[in-house]
Amino acid sequence: MSGGHGHDHDDEYTAPLGETQLRVKALESLLTEKGLVDPQALAALIDLYETRVGPRNGARVVARAWVDPAYRKRLLDNASAAIAEFGFTGRQGEDMVVLENTPRVHNMVVCTLCSCYPWPVLGLPPVWYKSPPYRSRAVLDPRGVLKEFGVALADDVEVRVWDSTAEVRYLVLPERPPGTEGLHEDELAALVTRDSMIGVGRPKAPERRPR
Amino acid sequence: MRVLAAADVGRMILKGGSARVPEPLPAKFAPGDRVLARNVNPVGHTRLPRYVRGRRGVVDRDHGVFVFPDTHAAGLGTKPQHVYSVRFAARELWGPDASPRDAIYVDLWDDYLDPDGDR
Amino acid sequence: MNGVHDMGGMHGFGPVVAEADEPVFHAEWERRAFALTLAAGFLGEWNIDMSRFAREQMPPAESLGASYYEHWLWGLEHLLVARGLLTREELEARVAVLRRAQTR
Repeated sequence: MSGGHGHDHDDEYTAPLGETQLRVKALESLLTEKGLVDPQALAALIDLYETRVGPRNGARVVARAWVDPAYRKRLLDNASAAIAEFGFTGRQGEDMVVLENTPRVHNMVVCTLCSCYPWPVLGLPPVWYKSPPYRSRAVLDPRGVLKEFGVALADDVEVRVWDSTAEVRYLVLPERPPGTEGLHEDELAALVTRDSMIGVGRPKAPERRPR
Repeated sequence: MRVLAAADVGRMILKGGSARVPEPLPAKFAPGDRVLARNVNPVGHTRLPRYVRGRRGVVDRDHGVFVFPDTHAAGLGTKPQHVYSVRFAARELWGPDASPRDAIYVDLWDDYLDPDGDR
Repeated sequence: MNGVHDMGGMHGFGPVVAEADEPVFHAEWERRAFALTLAAGFLGEWNIDMSRFAREQMPPAESLGASYYEHWLWGLEHLLVARGLLTREELEARVAVLRRAQTR
């Protein structure tokens, strides 16, 4: 989808602006002149989502659930409150539900109608999540999509696809990888990938450490 | 109109704005109920995807009371009502070639659903 | 509305292609379009359902060829004009000024 704009980031200071870039610039200058937006607020919004909110937040939640059974229970019973214990609250994560993967059930999340995604725990969605191939096929052929992500599931595993059509936002609690028994919460968090929390990947395997 | 100030960005984003409505309205359905997604084709905004219209599912859970997008998008009020996660068997949606085990869960409002009286 | 945004179950869009180590934004204009949309939303002139409906009204052929933040931009322009915060003419005039400025 955004392939046609791929040249933007290299040439944006030297090449002439494309039509879309011109429109954004025109809009920003007009809204600023009219006093409808504060350029400092724009900078703060960009900084927040580019540097502070992202999938490392969700990884901390998952790692906590792996090491602390009481937290895991709170997370599955009332995800919004349990996630708020970390201070991960607000826009596009006001009403959260956590879905637990097990050896028998694999959950994955999509938004077929737009691109709803749990911002406070995962940040802004990647392009593939927002694009037609994923949005069209996640509900029709979830196993085929999972295969493209390198996730092969046995026939006896039940796949549950959650279409975020309302204002509830979903986070997948992936299975804790084997061989991680001795790891600390921070080390576990480093194994939790964004894709594993959308349900299209698995957490990373732990590195083998010399005894 | 209030213009967002840089100093308020962090606080306003962390605060968010839930579409949940704190009103104890009665729920039309309960978990386990069989429901039929309405076959309607509104010209305005709706969050009822075409692929479930006219299909049968089972209420998995009640998320509580939320603003109704169809009226809210049209400036016709919040019309608060319950939202449920409804489980549709993959075969109900996609036919016999779909996996017999898999299911699609779709969040649907009271106004998108009727009781499934045929089963 | 039965629009092209309602994609569940469609065929023909090809495989899902994930970008390794994908950045949050791919260009400066995406950063600006994102932040402008959020900031303008705080004006309180429309709600999130109106924003979604605005994006859905992009003509289907155009919509399918556009990227995510182009949808956002289209929706934002639509809402600003509809609420009288901006006119189509002043926006096009400003685009023209900026275009001329860089070809000089």
